[in-house]
Amino acid sequence: METQSRRKFLGSCLVGTAIAAVAAALYPLYRYLAPSQSGTGTAKVTFAATEVPEGEAKFFEYAGSTGVVVRTKGGLIALSAVCTHLGCIVQWEKDKQDFLCPCHAGRYTPEGTVISGPPPRPLPKLPLTQAEGKIIIG
Amino acid sequence: MSLFKKIYHWIDVRIGSTEIVEKELTGYLLPKNINEWYSLGSVLLVIFALQVVTGMLLLVYYVPDADKAFKSVTYIMNEVPFGWLIRLCHAVGSNLMVFVLMLHMLSTLLMGSYKSPREMNWISGFVLFSLVQGISLTGYLAPWSQLSFWATTVATNSVTAVPLIGTGLVKFLRGGTLVGPATLGRFFALHVAIIPAVIAALIGAHLFFLKRTGVSTPPFGAKETQNNWEGKSYRYEFHPGGIPFFPNYALQDATSVSIYLAIFFALIFFAPTLFFTPDSFVPANPFKTPAHIKPEWYFLANYQTLKIFPSELIGLLVQVAAMTVLALLPFIDRTKERHPLKRPIFLTCAIGGILLWLGLTIWGHYS
Repeated sequence: METQSRRKFLGSCLVGTAIAAVAAALYPLYRYLAPSQSGTGTAKVTFAATEVPEGEAKFFEYAGSTGVVVRTKGGLIALSAVCTHLGCIVQWEKDKQDFLCPCHAGRYTPEGTVISGPPPRPLPKLPLTQAEGKIIIG
Repeated sequence: MSLFKKIYHWIDVRIGSTEIVEKELTGYLLPKNINEWYSLGSVLLVIFALQVVTGMLLLVYYVPDADKAFKSVTYIMNEVPFGWLIRLCHAVGSNLMVFVLMLHMLSTLLMGSYKSPREMNWISGFVLFSLVQGISLTGYLAPWSQLSFWATTVATNSVTAVPLIGTGLVKFLRGGTLVGPATLGRFFALHVAIIPAVIAALIGAHLFFLKRTGVSTPPFGAKETQNNWEGKSYRYEFHPGGIPFFPNYALQDATSVSIYLAIFFALIFFAPTLFFTPDSFVPANPFKTPAHIKPEWYFLANYQTLKIFPSELIGLLVQVAAMTVLALLPFIDRTKERHPLKRPIFLTCAIGGILLWLGLTIWGHYS
């Protein structure tokens, strides 16, 4: 009985040590492979208002993703350029004045509302301000 | 029945795992007088596996481009969480792999385990040793530091001593007249794809030979120390009444691996710069040779041999002759006796050779 409990105790110690060793190996491995936090923040993006003439769009990197600002007759709108269907980047169709996702032909209005195709949601809006001839996103 | 036993039973009725366990583990008997040195092969398998895993992890961030390689290694060391650990595991592991491989060969040598019918085990092991040196040399260039650049220049330059084709051979090896971006490309391919694949295949062959011939009986603690194989027909060396591989010798393997890991991590945490000189922290500059550039410790004897002879060709021939004798040792040493103390000529040559190698290494280090 005493031998059995000693064996059980030693077995538990061995299993505990093995689990600790595996955890000690997996933690650095996870940290090593985890995506870098730099570039995913919400740092502001600024550019001159003249870079976006009426009827045209400008794409930019924002918070580790892609954004787009478009100037319509109604004014400036900043949107995420990532299609809500499967994550492709939408393209601005100047002649039709809408966004087209080339992957599966999803279409959006300049305000990001879905016109046709498979996208389940509109393009998310990004915060936009204008000051002293500059466009500030974020 | 516990869940574990249920799963085991489910597998067992399908593939007969109990039969495999009895044949290959619990029923796989080893010589009664087997010693710790026999576990070095398992230690080497663990080291190779660790080198493969850490090497794959380094590939996530390493860029094999002469303009970006050093920067990417610096990024791994300073920016990536635990990148230093992965890189040091790989760099320290490569040095220890050569060291443990030398110990493994030394024990085989002293216990006469290379003798017939184990010539193929010895030769495959010898080729593995050469390939491990090759993979270390090609990996040495990867960080594109001053040390890696100039050590590779010196190492590859020794090939020019080969008569007639030496210069062309070096050019082919480097992918150009001098070490440059083309060298990094071909060394990288050799380091991560070609040599590891060949090493893996040869490890398979080495284990296959071991499996077919059986484990040799150590000459220590045995009454019969003569090699009694006649060479007339195939014979598997059984060890009736021996100790089972599992759990008995597996525990020795685990102990040796644990001792190795303790030394390995002690070096990584307490002497992380042991295998790095200040030149390994400076990016490669093809226009500025650092003073006293030296190859890795295991090439120092070769390096010093090239230096002490008046002609590089003689230095190279001496090394080729020494390596050939070592590779063909089972065919040269045909004596039956395996105990080192009963082989005075062999023991004298072996100790002399080891002392010569150590002497040249130390001389190479301080020269």
